[in-house]
Amino acid sequence: MRASSVASTILSVLFALLLVTPDAQATLWLSLARQPLSRGSCSELEGLSGGQVVLCQRQWGAMESVRRGAELSIEECQHQFRARRWNCSTGSGVNVFGKVVLQGTREAAFIHALSAAAVAFAVTRACSRGELEKCGCDRKVRGVSPEGFQWSGCSDNLSFGVAFSQSFVDDPERSRGLSSSRALMNLHNNEAGRKAIVHSMRVECKCHGVSGSCEVRTCWKVMPPLRRVGNVLKEKFDGATEVQLRKVGSRKVLLPRDPHFKPHSPQDLVYLSPSPDFCQLDPRGGIPGTEGRQCNATSRLAVDGCELMCCGRGFHTARAEVVERCSCKFRWCCSVQCKQCRNVLQVHTCR
Amino acid sequence: MSTKKLVIVGVILVIFQVFSFLVGGLIAPSPTSAVHYLATKCVDVRKHHQNSTWFMPWGPNQCEKIRDFDEAMIKKIEANEIVFAVHIPLPNNEMSPWFQFMLFILQFDIAFKMGNQIEEGAVVTIDVSLAYRDDTFSKWTEMAHSIEQRKLSCNFSTPKTHEYEGRHYECDLLPFMELGSVAHKYYLINMRLPVNERKKINVGIGEIKDIRLVGIHQNGGFTKVWFAVKTFLTPSILIIMIWYWRRITLMTRPPVLLEKVIFALGISMTFINIPVEWFSVGFNWTWMLLFGDIRQGIFYAMLLSFWIIFCGEHLMDQTERNRFGVYWKQVGPIVFGSFCLFIFDMCERGVQLKNPFYSIWASDLGTELANLQMAFIIVAGICACLYFLFLCFMVFQVFRNISGKRTSLPAMSKARRLHYEGLIFRFKFLMLITLACAALTVIFFIISQVNEGHWHWAGYTVQVNSAFFTGIYGMWNLYVFAIMFLYAPSHKRYGDDQSNAGDLGVNSGEEIQLTTTITHVDGPTEIYRMTGKESQE
Repeated sequence: MRASSVASTILSVLFALLLVTPDAQATLWLSLARQPLSRGSCSELEGLSGGQVVLCQRQWGAMESVRRGAELSIEECQHQFRARRWNCSTGSGVNVFGKVVLQGTREAAFIHALSAAAVAFAVTRACSRGELEKCGCDRKVRGVSPEGFQWSGCSDNLSFGVAFSQSFVDDPERSRGLSSSRALMNLHNNEAGRKAIVHSMRVECKCHGVSGSCEVRTCWKVMPPLRRVGNVLKEKFDGATEVQLRKVGSRKVLLPRDPHFKPHSPQDLVYLSPSPDFCQLDPRGGIPGTEGRQCNATSRLAVDGCELMCCGRGFHTARAEVVERCSCKFRWCCSVQCKQCRNVLQVHTCR
Repeated sequence: MSTKKLVIVGVILVIFQVFSFLVGGLIAPSPTSAVHYLATKCVDVRKHHQNSTWFMPWGPNQCEKIRDFDEAMIKKIEANEIVFAVHIPLPNNEMSPWFQFMLFILQFDIAFKMGNQIEEGAVVTIDVSLAYRDDTFSKWTEMAHSIEQRKLSCNFSTPKTHEYEGRHYECDLLPFMELGSVAHKYYLINMRLPVNERKKINVGIGEIKDIRLVGIHQNGGFTKVWFAVKTFLTPSILIIMIWYWRRITLMTRPPVLLEKVIFALGISMTFINIPVEWFSVGFNWTWMLLFGDIRQGIFYAMLLSFWIIFCGEHLMDQTERNRFGVYWKQVGPIVFGSFCLFIFDMCERGVQLKNPFYSIWASDLGTELANLQMAFIIVAGICACLYFLFLCFMVFQVFRNISGKRTSLPAMSKARRLHYEGLIFRFKFLMLITLACAALTVIFFIISQVNEGHWHWAGYTVQVNSAFFTGIYGMWNLYVFAIMFLYAPSHKRYGDDQSNAGDLGVNSGEEIQLTTTITHVDGPTEIYRMTGKESQE
């Protein structure tokens, strides 16, 4: 009894400490991708904010989806940035993406947007699989009639996924208060990520009247694959707006740094400070540098070209024998029969 | 009947019309709802697959799952051991007989991979079974089991290069299953995609990532409102029908063709109206969907025939009609067309009574059959075109005759003139309301197709689609009601007219002439009489 109360005091002190160091907080929950989940372990999980722990205890079933969302967002980020100097590399600590996300850069904006979208995505999918109890029929989600499923059906599961993402992913920023520019930036980007899903929904319809006529037609929205959301967000990344905190009336809002620019829309990504060039190894800044990265010697102006990738330091060229699978025979599931082919390739790596 | 009464009836009809729209728009929810299901990938760990077990995606006794097929690859699980399980509905819900029907759409999420692309004309073979139970603990009972084939038609919008590996194909919706009644609370679908390389089964279908189902059912709330509307409309049409028939039998002459046709129209309307669907709540009648289609078909055929015969009877070209045989040329295509649609419907929904997974559109084995059915539909379409050509031609003829008669009207004797004026008025009156009804139907149909389904307006949510259904349904009921009411033969004897309604008595001379006309209408005759009066003055 006593021990547990002591433990809880320590925990609450820990949370208070975490709240004091806010910048490190925002995306720590992504480390769930690396942690095993076991029931009732919410308060032992690393990287969760106070509100997130409460949410974890209340909706344990959704935590597996949050974990999946974290995994998906790391995979997707690495896919989208595979050919850039910053390739979404992950470290081993609680802070998955290292210190890059701590500054208010474009990269941080992208990660925030993508992770918020990925959580909404994963929760929605879990709903459709029946793994969560409430989902579209949850009364707290907008668009559900009080009469319930039998009278008018439930709202689509995405609105639940989005609402869950709002309460989970946004929690660290909320607890930080809405006056700090970083909190505002993160909240905006989180919402932009979720908007990217909602706006790339596709409507599909089916006619089922007499003899299949369109007298009766039912339409529904289909959630896009996460890859498409990633593509949308990557475009938003390229066109992100640099903003700064301004006071409008009594409210503090983010407005474009350059007053000639037109204000950003809710779907756009915003950032506060310009990104470093990611060329040199910088352990303090959490930047691995591009030394040793493979580059494409034939494309000159592309981001994966050796010129850009190696920041003009030049590159090594080596001949390497690569064993590849070739002339494979696939089945739809679970068996691939391949021959092994040996290819000699020229591999270029940055100095 | 006086003009005042006519106006009152008109106003009442309009009020009912508005009411029927509002019932759908404000009380009822949207007519149908779609629920997304993502199949859970279960692993059949048993060595022998003889006795059938059911794989539950969630809840107690849930199956052993894998998250994706990379995991299966590592664990060396074979395709035949993977069972895609979908439980209907999602947790904490129950299905209900009020849903009336359930149909399912199948969609594959197939990722593009350079070495494993979807082949041209790829066909997926699905071993699917469906089970039900009515409480959460008892055993599943099998309802249907089938091996189905579905043709994949997918396209990949980006170039097929290494760069775009992992993106998904965009595949067409595949019809999966249709149930004509929802008698049970819980359903379970288990699917397998067995691979047989020798027989080329499920080879070259790409890298399937997930199977999605979309379940569509009628909303319980809409069903209740719909039944209420039907239950209310049945007695009203029935009463006017009895009244109408009494009027006809009161006459000394036998009923003419047009009167019989109007009566038949009333019968077919009542046939649709009778809310036998109430039984579907208590009994597991899977044929209700088919029955509903048949009833609707009979009404359409009757309505179309009515228009033709009505036009024909107003042709005014002095030929003796009044016999059904005269109209075989026009009614024939209608009957034939409806028959074709009936056969088609029987082939789809009729077969679905036996095998809910059957779909004409998807069957590859039955391509011949599907062609035959396409032929049926085409024939039905041709019949529809022929019909409308006929109808337009007849309407055109009537108008030509009308204008011809107009010029010669002043030269006629008063009685003949009144006779023709009556015919013209009556025809134009029906043309007007028919056109109005048809236009309203088309307009609302377009609105409901274009619109997203509901409007938010001053704090109310108006369900446009539901309003469309109840409103249009109410409208055609009122149409039939109005026709029977207004076109019933007058019960007033002309002697009575003189004693009761002094204002009409003056022109009895013409009215004796009226009895020789083929048909009598109540409302328009009234105006006819008044015109007669005016002309006397």
